[in-house]
Amino acid sequence: MLVVVFAMNVALQPDLITRASLSSNVATFAPTVLVSAAQAIIVLMGELDLSVGAGVSMLNCALSTLPELAGWGLVPTLAATFGIALAAGATNGALVAYLGLPSLIVTFATSAIWFGVALAFRPQPGGSIDPALNELYAASIAGVPIALILILIAIGLWSILQRHPLGRQLLAVGGNPTAAFHAGIDVRWVKFRGHCIAWCFVYLGSLAISAQTLSGDSRLGLPYTLTSVAAVVIGGISLAGGRGSVWGAAFGAIALGLVANVIYFAGIPSIYQEFFKGIVICIALSFTFILGRRTIE
Amino acid sequence: MSAALRTGGVLLALSVILMVLGNFVTPGFLSFTQVSTQLKISAFLGLFALCQTFVLLAGGEGVDLSVGAIGSLGGIVGAALLQGKDSAFLAVAALMGTAGAAVGTISGLGVALLGVPPLVMTLAIASIVNGGLIIFESIAQPPIAASPFLAQLAGRATWGAPNIVLLWIVVGLAALWFLSATAWGRKIRSTGANARVALLSGTHITLVKVSVYAISGLVAALSGFCLIGYVGAAFLGLGDAYVLPSIVVAVIGGMSLAGGRGSYVGVAAAAILITVLTSLLATIQIGEAGRQIIFGCILIGFLLLNRRLERAA
Repeated sequence: MLVVVFAMNVALQPDLITRASLSSNVATFAPTVLVSAAQAIIVLMGELDLSVGAGVSMLNCALSTLPELAGWGLVPTLAATFGIALAAGATNGALVAYLGLPSLIVTFATSAIWFGVALAFRPQPGGSIDPALNELYAASIAGVPIALILILIAIGLWSILQRHPLGRQLLAVGGNPTAAFHAGIDVRWVKFRGHCIAWCFVYLGSLAISAQTLSGDSRLGLPYTLTSVAAVVIGGISLAGGRGSVWGAAFGAIALGLVANVIYFAGIPSIYQEFFKGIVICIALSFTFILGRRTIE
Repeated sequence: MSAALRTGGVLLALSVILMVLGNFVTPGFLSFTQVSTQLKISAFLGLFALCQTFVLLAGGEGVDLSVGAIGSLGGIVGAALLQGKDSAFLAVAALMGTAGAAVGTISGLGVALLGVPPLVMTLAIASIVNGGLIIFESIAQPPIAASPFLAQLAGRATWGAPNIVLLWIVVGLAALWFLSATAWGRKIRSTGANARVALLSGTHITLVKVSVYAISGLVAALSGFCLIGYVGAAFLGLGDAYVLPSIVVAVIGGMSLAGGRGSYVGVAAAAILITVLTSLLATIQIGEAGRQIIFGCILIGFLLLNRRLERAA
């Protein structure tokens, strides 16, 4: 699937493989990849987070407002925003894990709260973020763009996590919470920490998008919620939890981005874009599920 | 049933308390016109939540995220076919209902036969339907106004009682009867409670699952069709505002996300409660930011209350 879409991309946009174009593509995809990675961790635990989009908005508005509000430089602002991200993850985690509320509804409720906080920071789009963030984002280390490094860090973190007991516990809790409980895993504590870790990825995603827009907008992140869910599913992660990996979600996000590219570069009029996007997602889904079924059988 | 009545009763009592509180904050909140406006808005929310009630009841992580898109379909195509006149009203309504049911059937087949999770299946269908509507709107540029009879049906009142609320009561009672007194309704509930047991006791669970999505599509399309009578004209994204609230209302109304449990009585009461809450927050002089935050916090409060009620039962 990814190969097909990538080939179509190359055909339609011949200069895709040049370095400049590749790195600008990576820069565009990075936020979706990172937010999808966050969603993947939560879905692997058998939950869902509908508040990641509003969360991205909240963090973006905090990034653009804290400097003028508190007179902070870039580093304290980044640190404070990270604190907000962790607090949001911890709130979701506590509500879902310790109070046992259904994540689908609870994260809808918290998404209203994050959106409200974003609006409180920045009622109208505007403000500015230190351009140093953009320079940093567009820079590259030894020829590797920072955006790609950010994705690699995210995937590296996941690889470490997978070898760590917590990573396995996340999967165990998502696959069968009762069995996990009987195996002596503190299910609630695992879920709580899983949400906090996921929100570190939301934070990275928000940094990546903010570095590109360099301003605050309370609606900026909202589309990420559904895109991340779609990416997770196309990436072959079971919504029932316990099966799949963050890698899959990253591929799913990139595939979605490439599909959008194909639609854009094929010169399809904008009125048809939404329709074709839906069709492509449906085809991708049928592939995933028909193939998935075959391997299970 | 008594548990459902209790949930419904508690939620309705809360709505009344909120309204009385609202009257202190903004005098006139309890006036006849205000209350009937609230009920009209609740009727639409309640009808969209009826879609979720069916789908949730059949279980299997069922939710329908395509109700908004199908509602828009019913509104936009319905208005295009009516052309502002009443002459073909019944035919258009029947056609819209069929179209909604057909789209719902596609979702149902994806869920029941291919095993796609409902959340994802209905989301994908929603994006196709919305995409199709964008194309239709920009190429055909159809008429968007509601016909006089539709405006009468959805916006006006008979002897003081808003017509759409009467319609909501009739549809709601019919749904309650269907779910509790007919064989098919009981099959829907037993499939949701335990699909394997239902299958082994001879229920065609694939058919049951497809049927709930078809019913959901039917109700959503007709609700969207009525909605243009209330707002006056159809527009893209007409039904979008109802997607997530309809699920929230169904869950607060006592529908179990795991399937098989809950009644429309509680859901209808929850629709009124959420509508009153939203408009109360709108009348208080605080910014949009504060309103969103309060709404989110209160929602969490209701979820906690709901669990209390469930445990007590």
